[in-house]
Amino acid sequence: MYTFIAKRLAVAVPTLLILIIFSFVLMFAAPGGPFTNERPLPAAVMDNINARYGLDQPYWKQMYDYVYNVVFRFDFGPSFQYRDRTVNDVIAQGFPVTLTYGAWSALVALVVGVSLGIVAALRQNTWLDYLAVGITIGAQALPNFVMAPVLVLIFTLWLGWLPGGGWNGGQWNHVILPVIALSTSYMASIARIMRSSMLEVMNSNFIRTALAKGLPMRRVVMRHALKPALLPVISYLGPAVVGMITGSVVIDVAFSTGGIGQFFVNSAFNRDYAVIMGITILVGALTILFNLLVDVLYAWVDPKIRY
Amino acid sequence: MLLDVSDLTVTFRTNDGPVNAVNGMSFSVDEKETLAIVGESGSGKSQTAFAIMGLLAKNGASTGKVAFDGTDMLGLSPKQLNKMRAQQIAMIFQDPMTSLNPYLRVSDQMAEVLQLHKGMSKRAAVAEAAHMLDAVRIPDAKARITMYPHEFSGGMRQRIMIAMALLCRPRLLIADEPTTALDVTVQAQIMELLAAIRDEFGTAMILITHDLGIVAGSCDKTLVMYGGQIMEQGDTEGLFEHPSHPYTKGLLRAVPRIDRDDDELLTIAGEPPDMSNLPKGCPFMPRCDIVKDQCAVVKPALQFDGGRKRACHADRAEVANV
Repeated sequence: MYTFIAKRLAVAVPTLLILIIFSFVLMFAAPGGPFTNERPLPAAVMDNINARYGLDQPYWKQMYDYVYNVVFRFDFGPSFQYRDRTVNDVIAQGFPVTLTYGAWSALVALVVGVSLGIVAALRQNTWLDYLAVGITIGAQALPNFVMAPVLVLIFTLWLGWLPGGGWNGGQWNHVILPVIALSTSYMASIARIMRSSMLEVMNSNFIRTALAKGLPMRRVVMRHALKPALLPVISYLGPAVVGMITGSVVIDVAFSTGGIGQFFVNSAFNRDYAVIMGITILVGALTILFNLLVDVLYAWVDPKIRY
Repeated sequence: MLLDVSDLTVTFRTNDGPVNAVNGMSFSVDEKETLAIVGESGSGKSQTAFAIMGLLAKNGASTGKVAFDGTDMLGLSPKQLNKMRAQQIAMIFQDPMTSLNPYLRVSDQMAEVLQLHKGMSKRAAVAEAAHMLDAVRIPDAKARITMYPHEFSGGMRQRIMIAMALLCRPRLLIADEPTTALDVTVQAQIMELLAAIRDEFGTAMILITHDLGIVAGSCDKTLVMYGGQIMEQGDTEGLFEHPSHPYTKGLLRAVPRIDRDDDELLTIAGEPPDMSNLPKGCPFMPRCDIVKDQCAVVKPALQFDGGRKRACHADRAEVANV
């Protein structure tokens, strides 16, 4: 197992390197740059700016410097858009916010989704099942850019219970609405996956054996059915958690939370290569990390998988 | 009488209407006795067993009476039923490859039975389970008990199933086609093991099978099923030597024999009946060699006739001469 993890981490290095180089090339291939304006700046000013950010160097040199700084100094360089800040500053400011509401969203989606799926499966074709399936379909059909303003309308404007935006250092009442808005559709997906896998597992022969042994239903479900039924949820969870903790533009814009989702989109509009690259690499690294976690979790649940 | 089943029916609700899997079965099993239930696939053998254990699928319902040592199994609450399962009646299944939980160690799966029903500690339960694995002749049981099911062969897994079923010393063991999924040499070993277990533990047994070869050597009584009904029922020896029902005769004829030089395997012509639309009269009539006028209209009653029960309009001499 440990060699497996070590191997996967070793493979992650060239993967990330390829990701860096590939996105670097893509961005340079796109026409225009961070300092292209409708009214061109004087040539002397342009030269100065290009020299300041190293844009006057040949491509291969720029790429080499970038990769060298990232890999050996963990320095993603200065931001083009926020003149006085580095990319590291931007990520250090935005990522904790995203990570906070993303992690809570992941937890809520997992707990609520799994519970809902189990109940629906065990009470298949009863009103509880129909209710659960109804909720999940509704939750999946409702996009979060609709949900976010509706939540603000209800909980802020009508009821006045929760603030409609801002972050305030991650105070609990500022976290709730973003978490609901972000987790709902993931929760619905998890509930549907869980329901169908639970139904399948409950029909398998070893569950019949467990029942024939005279085990009470609760024990059969918790001890014999839960683990195998969770396997499809675990595979879904890898990319889903990355999606949640790397944030969402919609959430950041709707609630002014100031996570990296917002920075990412702003940077794309402003051609802030440095920030785009930084966030891309962050997401890439997290994706690799969580896929590894999923594989490890899988092996832990399923004894037939050994690395 | 240990188990007394009377007028048992099993019906499944399906989208195409009700399916009548078992239609009025009555039979009994005495203490320490072995009963074979024989019939082709879909004849309702397994559903009879599931109905006794209360293990029918969700859309299934049973009527009639299943008395186990005086207790009506069909009227029990889930809690009472759980007590009966494993402690009084245990069951082993057709497919040992999928009947054990692949995600739990054998020791955990076996120990939980004793922990739950006998209130034993985990350590004592595992020790007892290892003893039982010894009894079903799994080599090096103490070490291997902590392995997962996939680390055992099919035959070994069926041994584990048997050991697990016997943990609480049940008085009745239902074996639902225990050897069907195994290869022939392993089949013989498992049958030998079941016979030895029965003698050693004094367990009564219901052996469900479509393999008549297995029945001949190991069962006191035999019950032949077709279309969810009993066709013929009696002591095994007499039934095999002088079958008095056309279906039993057909089944026996279809057993391939090494001492006959046949080019082709003999079969019973025709198809098994559609259980959602059984004929009004005898279910076997469309495939029978001796058809009488009343066969199509009147369902033959199961009656005592010459030392055994049979359900056929033709008399015994007629069947014997075909």
